[in-house]
This record gives sequence, C-alpha cells and structure tokens, in this order.
Amino acid sequence: MSVALEVAAHEVAALQVEDLRVRYGRLPAVDGVSLRVEPGQVTALIGETSSGKSSLALAAARLLPRAAAVTGTVLIAGRDLTALPAREFRRQRAGMVGYIAQDAMAALNPVLPVGRQIAELFGVHRGMSRAAADEQAVRELARVRIDRPGAVARAYPHQLSGGMRQRVMIAMAMALSPPLLIADEPTTALDVSTQAEILSLVRDLQAGTGSGILWITHDMGVVAELADWVAVMYAGRIVEQGPAAGVFGHPVHPYTEGLLRTRRDLRAGRPGTPLYQIEGSPPTPSADRRGCAFAPRCPRRTVTCTERRPELVTVKASHESGWLAACHHPAQQGAGS
Amino acid sequence: MARTLIRRVAFGVIAVLGVAVLAFLLEFVVPGDPARAIAPRAQSAAVLANIRAQLHLNRPLVVQFVDYFAGLFRGDLGTSYVQRQSVASLIGPRLATTGALALAGVVAEVLIGGGLGIVATLYPRVRAAVTAVNLTLLALPQFVVGLVLLLVFGFRLHLAPVTGGAGPAEIVLPALTLGLVGAPWYAQIVADQMADSLSSAYVRTAVAKGLPDRYILWRHVLRNVLSPAITMVGMDLGAYLSGVVTVEVVFGWPGIGLLAVESLQNLDRPVVMGTVIVGAVAVVLFNLLADVLRMYVDPRTREDPA
Repeated sequence: MSVALEVAAHEVAALQVEDLRVRYGRLPAVDGVSLRVEPGQVTALIGETSSGKSSLALAAARLLPRAAAVTGTVLIAGRDLTALPAREFRRQRAGMVGYIAQDAMAALNPVLPVGRQIAELFGVHRGMSRAAADEQAVRELARVRIDRPGAVARAYPHQLSGGMRQRVMIAMAMALSPPLLIADEPTTALDVSTQAEILSLVRDLQAGTGSGILWITHDMGVVAELADWVAVMYAGRIVEQGPAAGVFGHPVHPYTEGLLRTRRDLRAGRPGTPLYQIEGSPPTPSADRRGCAFAPRCPRRTVTCTERRPELVTVKASHESGWLAACHHPAQQGAGS
Repeated sequence: MARTLIRRVAFGVIAVLGVAVLAFLLEFVVPGDPARAIAPRAQSAAVLANIRAQLHLNRPLVVQFVDYFAGLFRGDLGTSYVQRQSVASLIGPRLATTGALALAGVVAEVLIGGGLGIVATLYPRVRAAVTAVNLTLLALPQFVVGLVLLLVFGFRLHLAPVTGGAGPAEIVLPALTLGLVGAPWYAQIVADQMADSLSSAYVRTAVAKGLPDRYILWRHVLRNVLSPAITMVGMDLGAYLSGVVTVEVVFGWPGIGLLAVESLQNLDRPVVMGTVIVGAVAVVLFNLLADVLRMYVDPRTREDPA
C-alpha cells in the first residue's frame, strides 16, 4: 500500500455506511450495503431503476418515511447522527448533509420565491434577519453561476428553467457548507448541454469546499465525467465497487460489463448495428433469494451461481486498494472486455 | 393576468344577465295573480283590473320585459307591488344583515372545518372520530342543526335569544349553524391538501433543511392548502349572500333570504327579481374576488393561459 493511500485511509470519510438495510414492510430495498465517500471526492452509485440506490441515498440523508425500517450505521464526517436527540439532529442536519433531489420542480415549494427558500436556512439556522438572509440567498445564487441572481431570487420555481431550478437546489444543499452532498439523479431530467454545465459547476464548487459527494445515477456518461469512485448496485446489494478509472477500464462483474457495453454501443453505434442490451429485466426485491440475483441474466452463469450467493470480496488480481466484486466468475484482470 | 380578469368579468356580466332573464320568465310561468295577492278579500273584478293596470300587468309580456330590463340597465330595480317602496331601498338593509350573517358563517365554517382537517391530519388517533363527526354533519339538514341549536342553547340553556332579530347576540346561533353544516367540506379539503403537501417532495426538502416542524407546517404546508380553501370561501360567501333562506327562516334573521320568501308568497315580482339579481351579482363578485386572492397566494395561477 502506498503512503498516499494510507493517509487517505486515516482521513475521516465524508460518508461511511456499514451494513445498511432498508425494508418497506417485508420488502427489502437495500440489503446490507457498505460504502465510503471520501472528502473532496465523488462516489457514483450506479444501478437500474428499483436497484435500491434511491433508498440508500434517502437512508443516508435520513429522509425515508417512518414506514421504512432502517438498520446499520451511517456516519457523516465521522458522526452518527442517529445518536443525537431529535431536536439537536434537526438543528445540525442541514450543516452535515445536503440533499439534491431528482425532480427540482417537485422538490421546491411552488408558492414561495426560490430566494426565500434558500434564505430560510440562514434565518432558522444562523439567526439572520429576513433582509440579511435574503441578501445571503442572492449571494448563494450567484455562487451557483446564476445570472441576475437578484431577479431569480424573487422568481417562483415554475418561472425558471429546469437547469436553473437544479442550480437553486444545489445552492440550497450547499448553503451551510455540509461535508457531504447526496445527489439523487440530479441531471436525469436535463438536456445534455445543461447537464454538462451542472456537472462542471458541481466539480468547481467541490474544489472550493472539499465536500464529499454521493452521486446517484444510471447514466454511465455522468459517471465517466465526474466520479472518483464507482459502486454498482443490483437488487439492493453492491455487486462491484472500486476506483472509477479501474472499474471503467476493466469491469470485473458481468453486470458492470453489461452496463459499460450498453454505453459504448450507444456512443459508437453505427446506424443499423444492434445495440447491446442486458437480457431480461432487473428482479423485484425479495427476502429469500438463493444464489446471485444477477444469475438469470448473466452470460457467465453456472450452477454455483443459482445456489450460492457470491460474497463481496477484494478482486484478487487487482493492485488497487478496495476494489471489490461479488461474482463467482469474475473477469480476469487485463483481459479486457 | 389582466386578460384573465377581463374575461372573467365579462363572463360574470353574462351570467348575471342570464339569471335575470331566466328569473323573469320563470315568474310568469308560476301560477298566481299579483293583484289578488295585493287585494286578497275577493274584490270586484274591476278593482283587480285596476290594480293590474297600475302595475302594468295588462301589457304584453314583451313590453314588460323590455321595460324591466331598460330599468335594470339604468340601475333601477323597480318598485315593490306590496310595500310601495323601491326594491333597492328594501334590499339595501337586508343585504347588510345577510352580509353580516354570511361573513360570520364563513368564519365559523373555516375555523371549525379547518380545525377538524388539521387535527385529523396531524393526530392519526383522532382521525376516525373526526371522520364520524364530518359524516354526521354532512347528513344533517341545515334546519335540523338550526332547530337543535335553538332548542338546546335558546330554550333549554337560555344562552341565546330565541325571538329573532339581527343583533350581535342573535347572530351566534345562525352563524354556528352555517359553520357546522359547511365545516365537513373544509375539513375534507384541508385534510386532503395537507396529506398531499406532507408527502410532497418539497416538504421532504424542507425536512432536509432542518426546519422546525411548526415552521414547515405554517410556511410550507398550510400555504399550499390556502388556495383551494380560498376558492371555497368565495363560493360560500356568494351563495350565502344570495340568501341563506333556511337559516334565516329558522332563526327569524331579517335578511335577503327571508325577504325573498315573503316576496315570493306575496307574488311581489319586482322584489323577487331584485333578490335574485343581487344574489347572482354576489355569487359572481365573490368568485371573482376569490380568484384574485388566489393569484396572490398561488403564483402559478397568475399566468394568462396561452
């Protein structure tokens, strides 16, 4: 292990999740996930719809409805927020974790000017006067590169474009400079050029604040653009995680391989050539699954796969620290795919 | 926004005129001779004919129609057959009395209904009880609620006057009747809107921002409940001003409703017409006011439709 990596390991993670489980009634959504987000880095959490990635994000931000049963530990900047009394937790949460929702239109209150919705953070948590808080909100809007922030502050959500609304959400999430940002597919609803602007904005803001970011997405392009670390989720579990460059170059898990191949075909696709797609559809959550959840769709499936669940273990051939995969038949390193 | 308003006003004028025409025609379909109502004790045919001539009732329907609407456009509601006094001067004071009752009734139903809705939403344990109360109130006719209140608080407990009239003491029971009968509608709309709002993504954002529960309730949730409630208040104020007949009769509240009933019995056509038109104007006006207020509360309704 290199010296640099040892230092990194001693640093307090922006987010450390240990054996997190989320159940809705008897339906498991997240099934024992462990994950780290380092300060100043972006961890991308990838997966298809219903893979449990949004539940994981909401659980980490402690925003799940009461009906959801959550177990496991979530440490934000080394602190277990569940240990705090409710009132203290409420006072501290916005300064600990910022949450950026997928649909900014729905996530902003339709009847309040957006500036007010940022300003109330300063009013409630910093005890600022209304006028001072409103001024601070305008400065926050300028920080996320909104032109004429004064006018935008007075606008209502429906008067803004999708990209502007998402900038407002980002300004709101980062207003109290939390060490952790959780972004749940924030660019999915945006067009490609707006998406690119948002990504570069987030990277620049992060360079200034050093926050750790957990970025949930199903868009491999966003991952390539932004991520330092990648975690791939399937049916409530992480099937592979590792450094972005490594996982992108030589995916170990057949599911990761499939996701990457889909993307490569989409980009390089010549008209008329069929796109690669992963056969079948993602499984519904199930409490009593034997074997690997991906087995029914897997090209490398054997009898073992349907009988024994693969553990998430260090990829043997890898020289990178912390690269893990859960597969009985991992791809050989260096073989390519 | 301006365009929407202008269109609404135009529609309102058309609606009032339509109601007036319909009411005018209807009065001539209802059987009965106003002359007989004015001179009930079997007068001679000559006397009755004389009365009809005085009231211009012997003229063709078209002429009477044109006369009446010509007067209406000059702002003249005509003269009462029975009281020999201008309709406007009869309705004016009645409008004020009914207005007071309508306002008190709407305040009562907003407080009772809004309270029930908020309590049912915030305290799941009493939700079933609130639903039962709502259903009971919905099932009870206005006059039953009014009579029960009158019996209990008036005759039994002597807490409220039972003699009729339009004073501050007399207003309590009729207003409470309107409030109780109207409350379930508000309870329902408030509970529904609050449930929507509480499960919305923007409330989740507010929670993520660490705002206190009470702050979220007042600034984020109830602001979003306001808009549909305002629409209902506008509709109710208009409807009540056009005459809360049952309640006014039960409590002897001397308002427009009571005037309308008396005039209808006397076949006092100009007064009936007057109450109908004033009522129609009230309905249109308060719905319009509610829309304007809603534009203030909910910015999304400000835009003109394309």
